[in-house]
Amino acid sequence: MRRAVAPLLIVTVALVLADSAVVTLALPDILVHLDASVGQVAWVLIAYNLVLGLAAVPAAMGFSRAQPRLFSAVGIAVFAGSSAVCAVAGSIDVLIMARCFQAIGGALALIGCLELLVAAYGERRGVASWVTAGVVGTALGPVAGGLLTQAISWQAIFVVQVPVAVLAVPAALAVRAAPTVTPDRHRPAVRANVTLALMSAALTAALFLLVLLLVQGWGRSPATAAVTVSVVPLAALAARPLARLLRPPSEVEVAVGCFLVAGGLVGLAIPPSAALAWTIAPQALVGLGLGLTVDQLTTRAMEMRLPRAHHAGWTIGARHIGVVVGLAILTPVFTADLRDAQVPAQQAITSLVLDAPLKPQDKIAVAEALGKELSAQEQQVPDLHRAFARLDLDPAERPAAARLERELNAQVERAATRAFRDSFLIGAGLALLALVTLIPVGRRRPR
Amino acid sequence: MSAPRRWIGLPVAAVVLVCGVVGVQLANGGGDYEPLRPADPCVERTVNPQATGIDGVTERLVLLGIDGAACRLHVSREALTLELAQTDEPTDAQIDALRAGLKSAVTRMKADGTLPRASQLVDESLESADLNELLKNVIRALPASVIDAAVKTDDVLIRAIDDLDLRAVLTNLDDQDALEQQVAKAVTSAVTASLEARIRGLV
Repeated sequence: MRRAVAPLLIVTVALVLADSAVVTLALPDILVHLDASVGQVAWVLIAYNLVLGLAAVPAAMGFSRAQPRLFSAVGIAVFAGSSAVCAVAGSIDVLIMARCFQAIGGALALIGCLELLVAAYGERRGVASWVTAGVVGTALGPVAGGLLTQAISWQAIFVVQVPVAVLAVPAALAVRAAPTVTPDRHRPAVRANVTLALMSAALTAALFLLVLLLVQGWGRSPATAAVTVSVVPLAALAARPLARLLRPPSEVEVAVGCFLVAGGLVGLAIPPSAALAWTIAPQALVGLGLGLTVDQLTTRAMEMRLPRAHHAGWTIGARHIGVVVGLAILTPVFTADLRDAQVPAQQAITSLVLDAPLKPQDKIAVAEALGKELSAQEQQVPDLHRAFARLDLDPAERPAAARLERELNAQVERAATRAFRDSFLIGAGLALLALVTLIPVGRRRPR
Repeated sequence: MSAPRRWIGLPVAAVVLVCGVVGVQLANGGGDYEPLRPADPCVERTVNPQATGIDGVTERLVLLGIDGAACRLHVSREALTLELAQTDEPTDAQIDALRAGLKSAVTRMKADGTLPRASQLVDESLESADLNELLKNVIRALPASVIDAAVKTDDVLIRAIDDLDLRAVLTNLDDQDALEQQVAKAVTSAVTASLEARIRGLV
């Protein structure tokens, strides 16, 4: 058990931070299963990040008056219990409420686990493992959520968290860490935390919008989307050896990371087609940027600053408020753009139907079936296949109809991709803004 | 290699990677990956109907007619088609533009030689025409040159367009049989009425 203690705490940290985006690919299923509106289902994502962002600093302040192992154990238990409630939630309101409690437990667990990891591994390795777990958890969240949703159900996302967290409670209780009574000696690292918040907002654009584009815009399955976005965590892991090889100053590393994320988001804004391959290289840039920035910024915000828990609270707050700000900026933009995309998409569809090599009566039948399908799916990117499946066509006309269906789907994909462009570019702007926050820091610290 | 030279490789590599990825996306049409933009309806387009005979003429006429109407209304033909499909009450301006567009289409088809001669449509017209068999047989027996000399297709179509109740046609868009019946009836009756009038005049 003793050997498993620290790994269990690391996994718990990764789980809590993965929960920030773990439900992204499950949102369409949750919407249908809990009969929720688009606005309500967005709160499943927003509530967790908002509460975690707001609770982190108060939790860190409360930590100085508590036993670290009890504090951590309570946090993990609340997180696990709330995850179980999320899994059995019968309504969207219960799910959102449970997500709020999950975030409160998560905030306590994150602060507590940091101190326990330092007690188990020592200062440097303890903080490093906490930071790395956070980066990996953030990057893997959407992937894990998508695969679980596709393989089992959206509830499985929350069910799998329970046993890990349940094992982590005794693990936390097993660590002997003395309460820290360090006076508040250092001010929060404002610049690093602002950069971190802006980068989190930009990374929200990358992870949240990309999975939405893949699933809702391009009609890919959650599993396919999950496998596709796994490029981000893989590239993030590759960033560390690269940085070790070249040993840049931390400011340079962060600046390069911000630039790579901005470049990756511009690449995602302008794919030449809806083929998944066009997202790989931009995602790799985003992943490399994530790997170079998030842990470096977290370390800079916490390094040599006491009390450690307070500064951990500020970084957690900055990250998750950044996510909420990202969602708050991007959600209205891409929903409005998706709504506006309907007109050019309808006109493109009309153009193709008018010019289709079909007999006039078949064109009218196609137009009629498409009209019914489009009005039935007003709030989402339409599935045109059902319209074609219902048609009673002459066998000789079927190849032309199949070609028309492919061309119409291509137009829908084009319209959806165009609708996401502004949001990706705004995300790139946020990453460049994060880069700007680094400019006044002209000093290079020796490593 | 000194320390600064070693790390300078990171920003250089980042710039190369970003420029490379964005450049490749743009070079392959990333900036233009958008829905098909409606063409200017005032610019002549090539129309290739799939149907033959009267159906083919009607299809070509309608496609060119929508272009002409959209050009008159200063909207795209797609926007006009969607507006007409989504409304129960087309405006007078839309109906007038549609009628004028259809007439312009006849003129254009005549000019570009895609309007069939009347003799080419006679057999098909007579199949559904409400005429007595004797008259039908007389018409069928006439040489093509006589029919073509007697009846001009463009005149017949203009007459059909003038007589056609376009509001009723648009109302019947979702009723395929009624629509076909209405359009075919108008075209057919215009052809046969012309023929009948001409032959009676000769007699």
